Amino acid sequence: MHSIIQLFIRHGGLLTLVVLEVVCFYLISTFNDPQRQISSASWTKYSGQFLQWKTDWLDYLGLKEQNERLRNQVAELGTQLTNARLIAVPRRDTFVFQATVDSLHRNFTRPEYILLPAQVISNTISGSNNWLMINRGRRDGVQPNTGVISADGLVGIVRYVSDDFAMVMSVLHRQTKISAALKKYAYFGSLVWEGNKPQIMTLTDIPSHLKVRKGDTVEVSRYSLMFPPGHLAGTVDSAYLQPGSNFLSILVQLSQHPAAFNHVYVVNNKFSGQIDSLQQLVKDERR
Amino acid sequence: MNGVNIFPNIWRFIGLTIVQVVILSKVALSANGYCNILVYPLFILFLPVQLATPAVVFLGFLIGITVDLLTGTPGVNASAGAMSGYARAVLLHRYAPRGGYTAKEPIPAPAYFGWRWFIIVAAIFFGVHITWYFSMAYFTPVYLLKQILPQSALAWALTMIIVLLYTRLFHPKI
Repeated sequence: MHSIIQLFIRHGGLLTLVVLEVVCFYLISTFNDPQRQISSASWTKYSGQFLQWKTDWLDYLGLKEQNERLRNQVAELGTQLTNARLIAVPRRDTFVFQATVDSLHRNFTRPEYILLPAQVISNTISGSNNWLMINRGRRDGVQPNTGVISADGLVGIVRYVSDDFAMVMSVLHRQTKISAALKKYAYFGSLVWEGNKPQIMTLTDIPSHLKVRKGDTVEVSRYSLMFPPGHLAGTVDSAYLQPGSNFLSILVQLSQHPAAFNHVYVVNNKFSGQIDSLQQLVKDERR
Repeated sequence: MNGVNIFPNIWRFIGLTIVQVVILSKVALSANGYCNILVYPLFILFLPVQLATPAVVFLGFLIGITVDLLTGTPGVNASAGAMSGYARAVLLHRYAPRGGYTAKEPIPAPAYFGWRWFIIVAAIFFGVHITWYFSMAYFTPVYLLKQILPQSALAWALTMIIVLLYTRLFHPKI
């Protein structure tokens, strides 16, 4: 207290000046029209710059972690690629053929996925239906109803596309339904979100006779059209019998936490057009 | 303010404000900013020498905001007033007579310090006030060379004539 008084005695004039000038700046930029326009324009300009700096700085801070993850991913992809080239037998399912000609000398169709890197620019996890936005759009080749994954797991499904951006229905959305399977069994079910904790999804329709253990791997099933089959989804947390049925509900701990979406990949399936039109024929027939 | 008569200051406050608001601001408005005479800072300049700096700064702000409220430019003159109040303290310190100020020199007027001293101090004082005033009025460095500095120079020259006339005419001693 004593030193504050000392400070005021020594620099009282300057302090009074600073305080009064702040008041004056406020008055000038609030009650005078031309000055208000000038100051608000400057404010917009410099605050935008400041936010840009902040983003750059945060990006910089996250570089190390990103780098680590990218390197792991490169390694993993390299491994897969090498395997794919070397192993000349059907590796994953009836769709993924490694040879172009089968034993009947007919041409095979190879599934073809093109991963388009994108960055998440907005994201929610607290609502009952969550959405996120990515910085890729129609011009980059993003189409509605394509899957979005990250290196660590699942992200969501593209629903709406503009020229440069796309809205993605998060995995934490009641309408999201992803065909997934337990890695050690051939059985598949639907991965849905029942509105529980953000990192927990439910895998339904798994027959109850299967022995499911905590920690078992859950991956994208071979019947998924939007997501690359075999992509990691999460691990089993717990399982319970659905009342009155013969099926298990399995709570799955997602390997990619929805609060940490950042760098993601839009999965373009080369044949989705053909497959969709075939499915549409079936639907039309039902009607 | 031991024994200093405060009434001359009050009269200066009222008189200069009225002259500024009723005559000079109207003239400035009709001349499109090119005949801007600011006399009210004379009140700040002629405050007692012994008055503490924070009080001078505050009184400068006070007469500025009074003029502002009467001419409809809140903050512009007040900012310049506070700034020149502080500038006066720096100037008086810089141009202090040998041996410092005494009770025999109640206000910084030519009657006590001579015309040469007064003209130097008043010139710098009004220079600071007027430049700051125009900076606040335009509020952007974009106009610095084309408008702020030329208009300040013109206003400063006109104001100095009026200030010297005033001082010669009234020859304030307290």
